[in-house]
Amino acid sequence: MSTAEETPKATEIAAASDDLALLLGRIAARDAAAFATLYRSTHAILYGVVARILTRGDASGEALQEAFVRIWEKAGEFDPAKGSPLGWMATIARNRALDEVRRVRPASLEEMPEGFEPAVETVDPLAARARSERLGALLACLGNLDADKREAVLLAYYRGFSREALARRFGAPTATIKTWLRRGLMQLRECLES
Amino acid sequence: MTLAPDDDFAAAEFALGTLEAGERATLAARRLREPKLDAAIRAWEARLSPLAEAAPPIAPPADFLPAIEARIRVAAAAPAADGVATLHKRLARWRAAALGATGIAAALAIGFVAREATRAVAPKEFVAILQKSADSPAFVASINLDSRELTVRPLAAPAQAGKSYELWIIEPKLGPPRSLGIIDAAAVTRGPRLAAFDRAVVEDATYAVTVEPEGGSPDGKPSGPPVFVGKLVPVEP
Repeated sequence: MSTAEETPKATEIAAASDDLALLLGRIAARDAAAFATLYRSTHAILYGVVARILTRGDASGEALQEAFVRIWEKAGEFDPAKGSPLGWMATIARNRALDEVRRVRPASLEEMPEGFEPAVETVDPLAARARSERLGALLACLGNLDADKREAVLLAYYRGFSREALARRFGAPTATIKTWLRRGLMQLRECLES
Repeated sequence: MTLAPDDDFAAAEFALGTLEAGERATLAARRLREPKLDAAIRAWEARLSPLAEAAPPIAPPADFLPAIEARIRVAAAAPAADGVATLHKRLARWRAAALGATGIAAALAIGFVAREATRAVAPKEFVAILQKSADSPAFVASINLDSRELTVRPLAAPAQAGKSYELWIIEPKLGPPRSLGIIDAAAVTRGPRLAAFDRAVVEDATYAVTVEPEGGSPDGKPSGPPVFVGKLVPVEP
Protein backbone atom coordinates (compact mmCIF):
# COMPACT_ATOMS: atom_id res chain seq x y z
CA MET A 1 0.00 0.00 0.00
CA SER A 2 1.45 3.34 -0.94
CA THR A 3 1.16 6.23 1.43
CA ALA A 4 -0.42 9.55 0.60
CA GLU A 5 3.02 11.21 0.34
CA GLU A 6 4.20 8.74 -2.33
CA THR A 7 1.07 9.02 -4.41
CA PRO A 8 1.20 11.74 -7.05
CA LYS A 9 -1.72 14.10 -6.78
CA ALA A 10 -4.37 14.15 -9.47
CA THR A 11 -3.18 17.60 -10.51
CA GLU A 12 0.36 16.27 -11.05
CA ILE A 13 -0.93 13.42 -13.19
CA ALA A 14 -2.98 15.87 -15.22
CA ALA A 15 0.10 18.11 -15.63
CA ALA A 16 2.24 15.16 -16.81
CA SER A 17 -0.51 14.25 -19.24
CA ASP A 18 -0.63 17.83 -20.55
CA ASP A 19 3.16 17.69 -21.07
CA LEU A 20 2.84 14.51 -23.15
CA ALA A 21 0.05 16.08 -25.20
CA LEU A 22 2.24 19.13 -25.87
CA LEU A 23 5.13 16.88 -26.90
CA LEU A 24 2.84 15.00 -29.31
CA GLY A 25 1.82 18.33 -30.82
CA ARG A 26 5.47 19.28 -31.41
CA ILE A 27 6.22 15.80 -32.80
CA ALA A 28 3.37 16.22 -35.27
CA ALA A 29 5.34 19.29 -36.47
CA ARG A 30 8.41 16.99 -36.92
CA ASP A 31 10.28 18.13 -33.80
CA ALA A 32 12.99 15.48 -33.23
CA ALA A 33 14.01 16.86 -29.83
CA ALA A 34 10.42 16.55 -28.60
CA PHE A 35 10.42 12.96 -29.85
CA ALA A 36 13.58 12.15 -27.87
CA THR A 37 12.00 13.67 -24.73
CA LEU A 38 8.82 11.66 -25.28
CA TYR A 39 10.86 8.47 -25.69
CA ARG A 40 12.82 9.11 -22.49
CA SER A 41 9.72 9.73 -20.41
CA THR A 42 7.53 6.88 -21.72
CA HIS A 43 9.72 4.06 -23.07
CA ALA A 44 9.75 1.99 -19.87
CA ILE A 45 5.96 2.13 -19.59
CA LEU A 46 5.49 1.10 -23.22
CA TYR A 47 8.18 -1.57 -22.96
CA GLY A 48 6.26 -2.97 -19.98
CA VAL A 49 3.10 -3.07 -22.12
CA VAL A 50 4.71 -5.05 -24.98
CA ALA A 51 7.05 -7.21 -22.85
CA ARG A 52 4.21 -8.65 -20.76
CA ILE A 53 2.51 -9.78 -23.95
CA LEU A 54 5.47 -10.93 -26.03
CA THR A 55 7.69 -12.19 -23.16
CA ARG A 56 10.61 -12.66 -25.60
CA GLY A 57 13.19 -9.89 -25.26
CA ASP A 58 14.05 -9.62 -28.96
CA ALA A 59 10.40 -9.47 -30.04
CA SER A 60 9.60 -6.91 -27.33
CA GLY A 61 12.45 -4.64 -28.42
CA GLU A 62 11.28 -4.87 -32.03
CA ALA A 63 7.66 -4.10 -31.08
CA LEU A 64 8.78 -1.11 -28.98
CA GLN A 65 10.77 0.30 -31.91
CA GLU A 66 7.88 -0.18 -34.33
CA ALA A 67 5.48 1.41 -31.84
CA PHE A 68 7.63 4.55 -31.53
CA VAL A 69 7.99 4.82 -35.29
CA ARG A 70 4.18 4.67 -35.49
CA ILE A 71 3.88 7.30 -32.76
CA TRP A 72 6.19 9.57 -34.78
CA GLU A 73 4.10 9.01 -37.91
CA LYS A 74 0.69 9.32 -36.23
CA ALA A 75 1.32 12.04 -33.63
CA GLY A 76 -0.93 14.45 -35.55
CA GLU A 77 -3.88 12.09 -35.11
CA PHE A 78 -3.85 12.18 -31.30
CA ASP A 79 -7.10 13.68 -30.01
CA PRO A 80 -7.04 14.71 -26.31
CA ALA A 81 -10.86 14.60 -26.24
CA LYS A 82 -10.78 10.83 -26.78
CA GLY A 83 -8.30 9.78 -24.12
CA SER A 84 -4.97 10.40 -22.42
CA PRO A 85 -1.74 10.68 -24.44
CA LEU A 86 -0.27 7.72 -22.56
CA GLY A 87 -3.38 5.62 -23.23
CA TRP A 88 -3.18 6.50 -26.93
CA MET A 89 0.50 5.53 -27.08
CA ALA A 90 -0.06 2.34 -25.09
CA THR A 91 -2.83 1.31 -27.50
CA ILE A 92 -0.42 1.64 -30.45
CA ALA A 93 2.24 -0.38 -28.64
CA ARG A 94 -0.25 -3.01 -27.52
CA ASN A 95 -1.67 -3.47 -31.01
CA ARG A 96 1.84 -4.02 -32.38
CA ALA A 97 2.47 -6.65 -29.71
CA LEU A 98 -0.90 -8.34 -30.31
CA ASP A 99 -0.36 -8.44 -34.09
CA GLU A 100 2.95 -10.14 -33.47
CA VAL A 101 1.73 -12.60 -30.86
CA ARG A 102 -1.32 -13.59 -32.91
CA ARG A 103 0.73 -13.95 -36.06
CA VAL A 104 3.39 -16.37 -34.94
CA ARG A 105 2.12 -18.16 -31.89
CA PRO A 106 -0.73 -18.72 -29.51
CA ALA A 107 -0.35 -16.76 -26.27
CA SER A 108 0.65 -19.65 -24.13
CA LEU A 109 3.11 -19.67 -21.30
CA GLU A 110 3.70 -23.39 -21.78
CA GLU A 111 4.91 -22.84 -25.33
CA MET A 112 7.37 -20.13 -24.45
CA PRO A 113 10.81 -20.84 -25.88
CA GLU A 114 13.56 -21.29 -23.33
CA GLY A 115 16.89 -19.56 -23.47
CA PHE A 116 16.37 -15.83 -23.78
CA GLU A 117 13.46 -15.44 -21.47
CA PRO A 118 13.20 -12.84 -18.68
CA ALA A 119 10.58 -13.51 -16.01
CA VAL A 120 7.55 -11.24 -16.09
CA GLU A 121 5.65 -10.38 -12.96
CA THR A 122 1.89 -10.31 -12.75
CA VAL A 123 0.21 -6.95 -12.66
CA ASP A 124 -2.10 -5.84 -9.91
CA PRO A 125 -3.81 -2.68 -11.15
CA LEU A 126 -5.60 -2.36 -7.83
CA ALA A 127 -2.19 -1.56 -6.28
CA ALA A 128 -1.59 1.27 -8.75
CA ARG A 129 0.37 4.18 -7.38
CA ALA A 130 -0.87 6.92 -9.61
CA ARG A 131 -4.45 6.95 -10.78
CA SER A 132 -5.96 9.23 -13.33
CA GLU A 133 -9.67 9.92 -13.15
CA ARG A 134 -10.32 7.59 -16.09
CA LEU A 135 -8.32 4.79 -14.48
CA GLY A 136 -10.13 5.26 -11.19
CA ALA A 137 -13.50 4.90 -12.92
CA LEU A 138 -12.35 1.84 -14.87
CA LEU A 139 -10.97 0.12 -11.77
CA ALA A 140 -14.17 0.80 -9.86
CA CYS A 141 -16.19 -0.82 -12.65
CA LEU A 142 -13.77 -3.76 -12.90
CA GLY A 143 -14.27 -4.20 -9.16
CA ASN A 144 -17.97 -4.83 -9.81
CA LEU A 145 -17.27 -7.85 -12.05
CA ASP A 146 -17.16 -11.43 -10.75
CA ALA A 147 -13.58 -12.33 -9.77
CA ASP A 148 -13.12 -14.80 -12.66
CA LYS A 149 -14.41 -12.38 -15.28
CA ARG A 150 -12.23 -9.60 -13.90
CA GLU A 151 -9.15 -11.83 -13.95
CA ALA A 152 -9.92 -12.93 -17.52
CA VAL A 153 -10.16 -9.30 -18.70
CA LEU A 154 -6.93 -8.35 -16.93
CA LEU A 155 -5.00 -11.39 -18.23
CA ALA A 156 -6.16 -10.55 -21.73
CA TYR A 157 -5.27 -6.87 -21.41
CA TYR A 158 -1.90 -7.19 -19.70
CA ARG A 159 -0.64 -10.57 -20.88
CA GLY A 160 -2.28 -10.85 -24.29
CA PHE A 161 -4.12 -14.09 -23.43
CA SER A 162 -6.38 -15.31 -26.26
CA ARG A 163 -9.69 -17.12 -25.56
CA GLU A 164 -7.83 -20.43 -25.98
CA ALA A 165 -5.16 -19.42 -23.47
CA LEU A 166 -7.82 -18.23 -21.01
CA ALA A 167 -9.69 -21.53 -21.44
CA ARG A 168 -6.55 -23.44 -20.50
CA ARG A 169 -5.89 -21.12 -17.59
CA PHE A 170 -9.38 -21.46 -16.13
CA GLY A 171 -9.95 -25.07 -17.17
CA ALA A 172 -13.16 -24.03 -18.96
CA PRO A 173 -14.39 -24.49 -22.55
CA THR A 174 -13.64 -21.58 -24.90
CA ALA A 175 -17.40 -21.07 -25.36
CA THR A 176 -17.67 -20.38 -21.63
CA ILE A 177 -14.76 -17.93 -21.80
CA LYS A 178 -16.47 -16.17 -24.69
CA THR A 179 -19.62 -15.81 -22.61
CA TRP A 180 -17.63 -14.48 -19.64
CA LEU A 181 -15.88 -11.93 -21.83
CA ARG A 182 -19.12 -10.86 -23.48
CA ARG A 183 -20.95 -10.37 -20.19
CA GLY A 184 -17.89 -8.86 -18.52
CA LEU A 185 -17.19 -6.33 -21.28
CA MET A 186 -20.83 -5.30 -21.71
CA GLN A 187 -21.22 -4.88 -17.94
CA LEU A 188 -18.02 -2.83 -17.92
CA ARG A 189 -19.29 -0.45 -20.62
CA GLU A 190 -22.66 -0.07 -18.90
CA CYS A 191 -20.90 0.81 -15.65
CA LEU A 192 -18.51 3.29 -17.32
CA GLU A 193 -21.36 5.06 -19.08
CA SER A 194 -23.63 5.29 -16.04
CA MET B 1 -25.82 2.90 -33.25
CA THR B 2 -26.74 0.34 -35.88
CA LEU B 3 -23.76 -1.92 -35.24
CA ALA B 4 -24.97 -5.52 -34.86
CA PRO B 5 -24.52 -6.90 -31.31
CA ASP B 6 -22.07 -9.55 -32.55
CA ASP B 7 -19.96 -6.92 -34.30
CA ASP B 8 -20.08 -4.75 -31.20
CA PHE B 9 -18.73 -7.66 -29.16
CA ALA B 10 -16.12 -8.48 -31.82
CA ALA B 11 -14.94 -4.84 -31.62
CA ALA B 12 -14.64 -5.17 -27.84
CA GLU B 13 -12.68 -8.42 -28.16
CA PHE B 14 -10.44 -6.89 -30.83
CA ALA B 15 -9.55 -4.06 -28.44
CA LEU B 16 -9.09 -6.47 -25.53
CA GLY B 17 -6.94 -8.70 -27.75
CA THR B 18 -8.69 -12.03 -27.21
CA LEU B 19 -9.53 -12.79 -30.86
CA GLU B 20 -7.70 -15.70 -32.48
CA ALA B 21 -5.31 -14.89 -35.35
CA GLY B 22 -7.82 -15.46 -38.18
CA GLU B 23 -10.62 -13.48 -36.52
CA ARG B 24 -8.23 -10.63 -35.73
CA ALA B 25 -7.02 -10.49 -39.33
CA THR B 26 -10.61 -10.50 -40.64
CA LEU B 27 -11.66 -7.68 -38.34
CA ALA B 28 -8.51 -5.66 -39.14
CA ALA B 29 -9.50 -5.83 -42.83
CA ARG B 30 -13.19 -5.07 -42.20
CA ARG B 31 -12.50 -1.95 -40.11
CA LEU B 32 -10.82 -0.36 -43.12
CA ARG B 33 -14.14 -0.42 -45.04
CA GLU B 34 -16.60 -0.13 -42.12
CA PRO B 35 -16.35 3.20 -40.29
CA LYS B 36 -18.87 2.18 -37.61
CA LEU B 37 -16.88 -0.93 -36.76
CA ASP B 38 -13.68 1.11 -36.75
CA ALA B 39 -15.25 3.68 -34.41
CA ALA B 40 -16.48 0.90 -32.09
CA ILE B 41 -12.96 -0.58 -31.89
CA ARG B 42 -11.47 2.84 -31.14
CA ALA B 43 -14.06 3.48 -28.43
CA TRP B 44 -13.23 0.16 -26.77
CA GLU B 45 -9.49 0.87 -27.02
CA ALA B 46 -10.06 4.22 -25.29
CA ARG B 47 -12.21 2.61 -22.56
CA LEU B 48 -9.55 0.03 -21.70
CA SER B 49 -6.39 2.11 -22.27
CA PRO B 50 -6.24 3.64 -18.74
CA LEU B 51 -5.16 0.16 -17.57
CA ALA B 52 -1.78 0.79 -19.21
CA GLU B 53 -1.17 3.55 -16.64
CA ALA B 54 -1.56 1.09 -13.80
CA ALA B 55 1.13 -1.35 -14.88
CA PRO B 56 4.68 -1.11 -13.54
CA PRO B 57 7.22 0.11 -16.13
CA ILE B 58 9.93 -2.32 -17.29
CA ALA B 59 13.31 -0.95 -18.38
CA PRO B 60 14.15 -2.17 -21.91
CA PRO B 61 17.39 -4.21 -22.23
CA ALA B 62 18.92 -1.56 -24.52
CA ASP B 63 18.53 2.07 -25.52
CA PHE B 64 16.40 1.80 -28.65
CA LEU B 65 16.18 5.54 -29.33
CA PRO B 66 19.11 5.66 -31.84
CA ALA B 67 17.63 2.72 -33.76
CA ILE B 68 14.18 4.32 -33.81
CA GLU B 69 15.61 7.65 -34.97
CA ALA B 70 17.52 5.82 -37.71
CA ARG B 71 14.31 4.14 -38.90
CA ILE B 72 12.54 7.47 -38.98
CA ARG B 73 15.42 8.97 -41.00
CA VAL B 74 15.44 5.93 -43.29
CA ALA B 75 11.74 6.43 -44.00
CA ALA B 76 12.53 9.93 -45.27
CA ALA B 77 16.01 9.14 -46.61
CA ALA B 78 17.46 10.62 -49.77
CA PRO B 79 19.43 8.43 -52.21
CA ALA B 80 23.17 7.91 -51.56
CA ALA B 81 26.12 7.44 -53.95
CA ASP B 82 29.28 5.27 -53.68
CA GLY B 83 29.75 1.55 -52.95
CA VAL B 84 29.35 1.45 -49.16
CA ALA B 85 26.64 4.08 -49.33
CA THR B 86 24.81 1.99 -51.92
CA LEU B 87 24.93 -1.01 -49.64
CA HIS B 88 23.60 1.08 -46.78
CA LYS B 89 20.88 2.38 -49.06
CA ARG B 90 19.88 -1.16 -49.96
CA LEU B 91 19.89 -2.15 -46.31
CA ALA B 92 17.73 0.86 -45.61
CA ARG B 93 15.29 -0.15 -48.31
CA TRP B 94 15.02 -3.70 -47.02
CA ARG B 95 14.53 -2.39 -43.54
CA ALA B 96 11.92 0.06 -44.70
CA ALA B 97 10.18 -2.80 -46.52
CA ALA B 98 10.19 -4.87 -43.35
CA LEU B 99 8.86 -1.96 -41.38
CA GLY B 100 6.17 -1.09 -43.90
CA ALA B 101 5.07 -4.71 -44.02
CA THR B 102 4.49 -4.87 -40.30
CA GLY B 103 3.63 -1.28 -39.57
CA ILE B 104 -0.10 -1.16 -39.91
CA ALA B 105 -2.65 -3.38 -38.25
CA ALA B 106 -4.31 -4.03 -41.57
CA ALA B 107 -1.10 -5.28 -43.10
CA LEU B 108 -1.68 -8.42 -41.10
CA ALA B 109 -4.80 -9.19 -43.08
CA ILE B 110 -3.61 -7.84 -46.40
CA GLY B 111 -0.24 -9.57 -46.09
CA PHE B 112 -1.94 -12.83 -45.21
CA VAL B 113 -4.25 -12.68 -48.20
CA ALA B 114 -1.48 -11.50 -50.52
CA ARG B 115 0.84 -14.26 -49.39
CA GLU B 116 -1.76 -16.92 -50.14
CA ALA B 117 -2.64 -15.32 -53.48
CA THR B 118 0.96 -15.11 -54.62
CA ARG B 119 2.19 -18.48 -53.37
CA ALA B 120 2.87 -19.61 -56.94
CA VAL B 121 5.29 -16.73 -57.49
CA ALA B 122 6.43 -16.35 -53.89
CA PRO B 123 9.87 -14.77 -53.46
CA LYS B 124 12.74 -17.22 -53.10
CA GLU B 125 15.50 -14.91 -51.95
CA PHE B 126 15.30 -13.41 -48.49
CA VAL B 127 17.71 -11.35 -46.50
CA ALA B 128 18.05 -10.58 -42.80
CA ILE B 129 20.20 -7.79 -41.46
CA LEU B 130 21.65 -8.96 -38.17
CA GLN B 131 22.30 -5.92 -36.08
CA LYS B 132 22.33 -4.42 -32.63
CA SER B 133 20.79 -1.16 -33.75
CA ALA B 134 19.60 0.08 -37.13
CA ASP B 135 22.76 2.03 -37.89
CA SER B 136 25.22 -0.75 -37.08
CA PRO B 137 24.53 -3.86 -39.20
CA ALA B 138 27.01 -6.61 -38.25
CA PHE B 139 26.08 -9.45 -40.63
CA VAL B 140 23.80 -9.90 -43.61
CA ALA B 141 22.22 -13.34 -43.86
CA SER B 142 20.73 -14.29 -47.23
CA ILE B 143 18.57 -17.35 -47.63
CA ASN B 144 17.29 -19.13 -50.69
CA LEU B 145 14.00 -20.62 -49.57
CA ASP B 146 13.99 -23.30 -52.29
CA SER B 147 17.46 -24.69 -51.61
CA ARG B 148 17.46 -23.64 -47.90
CA GLU B 149 20.98 -22.40 -48.61
CA LEU B 150 22.23 -19.91 -46.05
CA THR B 151 24.91 -17.32 -46.80
CA VAL B 152 26.21 -15.03 -44.08
CA ARG B 153 28.40 -12.04 -44.95
CA PRO B 154 30.19 -10.10 -42.21
CA LEU B 155 29.78 -6.33 -42.53
CA ALA B 156 31.16 -4.90 -39.32
CA ALA B 157 31.32 -7.70 -36.78
CA PRO B 158 34.16 -7.04 -34.32
CA ALA B 159 36.52 -10.04 -34.01
CA GLN B 160 36.32 -11.64 -30.55
CA ALA B 161 39.59 -13.20 -29.38
CA GLY B 162 39.09 -16.78 -28.21
CA LYS B 163 35.36 -16.59 -28.97
CA SER B 164 33.10 -17.59 -31.86
CA TYR B 165 29.91 -16.10 -33.25
CA GLU B 166 27.07 -18.61 -33.41
CA LEU B 167 23.86 -18.15 -35.41
CA TRP B 168 20.49 -19.30 -34.03
CA ILE B 169 17.04 -19.69 -35.51
CA ILE B 170 14.26 -18.77 -33.08
CA GLU B 171 10.68 -19.75 -33.78
CA PRO B 172 8.14 -20.71 -31.11
CA LYS B 173 7.13 -23.84 -33.08
CA LEU B 174 10.71 -25.08 -32.70
CA GLY B 175 10.80 -24.61 -28.93
CA PRO B 176 14.20 -23.42 -27.70
CA PRO B 177 16.57 -21.60 -30.11
CA ARG B 178 18.23 -24.00 -32.60
CA SER B 179 21.83 -23.58 -33.63
CA LEU B 180 22.68 -22.90 -37.28
CA GLY B 181 26.36 -23.20 -36.49
CA ILE B 182 29.39 -20.97 -36.20
CA ILE B 183 29.66 -17.97 -38.51
CA ASP B 184 32.90 -16.32 -39.53
CA ALA B 185 33.46 -12.68 -38.55
CA ALA B 186 35.98 -12.13 -41.39
CA ALA B 187 34.76 -14.29 -44.32
CA VAL B 188 31.57 -15.45 -46.02
CA THR B 189 29.94 -18.50 -44.44
CA ARG B 190 27.83 -20.61 -46.81
CA GLY B 191 25.93 -23.89 -46.59
CA PRO B 192 22.57 -25.69 -46.73
CA ARG B 193 22.13 -25.20 -43.00
CA LEU B 194 18.37 -24.70 -43.10
CA ALA B 195 17.61 -27.98 -44.88
CA ALA B 196 15.85 -29.42 -41.85
CA PHE B 197 13.42 -26.55 -41.43
CA ASP B 198 9.97 -25.98 -42.88
CA ARG B 199 9.60 -23.07 -45.33
CA ALA B 200 7.11 -21.18 -43.14
CA VAL B 201 9.35 -21.58 -40.10
CA VAL B 202 12.38 -20.25 -42.00
CA GLU B 203 10.36 -17.30 -43.28
CA ASP B 204 8.81 -16.28 -39.95
CA ALA B 205 11.76 -16.97 -37.65
CA THR B 206 13.97 -14.49 -35.87
CA TYR B 207 17.70 -14.95 -36.47
CA ALA B 208 20.05 -14.18 -33.60
CA VAL B 209 23.80 -14.22 -33.09
CA THR B 210 25.43 -14.96 -29.74
CA VAL B 211 29.05 -14.86 -28.62
CA GLU B 212 30.14 -18.38 -27.60
CA PRO B 213 33.35 -20.08 -26.47
CA GLU B 214 35.65 -20.86 -29.42
CA GLY B 215 34.10 -23.63 -31.51
CA GLY B 216 30.53 -22.93 -30.43
CA SER B 217 28.13 -23.44 -27.56
CA PRO B 218 29.24 -26.43 -25.47
CA ASP B 219 25.71 -27.60 -24.65
CA GLY B 220 23.71 -26.64 -27.73
CA LYS B 221 22.05 -23.71 -25.94
CA PRO B 222 22.90 -20.03 -26.27
CA SER B 223 25.37 -19.06 -23.52
CA GLY B 224 24.09 -15.50 -23.30
CA PRO B 225 21.68 -12.99 -24.80
CA PRO B 226 21.89 -12.34 -28.55
CA VAL B 227 24.29 -9.59 -29.63
CA PHE B 228 22.71 -9.18 -33.09
CA VAL B 229 19.21 -10.03 -34.27
CA GLY B 230 17.18 -9.74 -37.47
CA LYS B 231 14.15 -11.02 -39.39
CA LEU B 232 13.86 -11.97 -43.04
CA VAL B 233 12.47 -9.71 -45.71
CA PRO B 234 12.05 -10.66 -49.38
CA VAL B 235 14.60 -9.26 -51.80
CA GLU B 236 12.79 -7.49 -54.61
CA PRO B 237 14.03 -8.24 -58.15
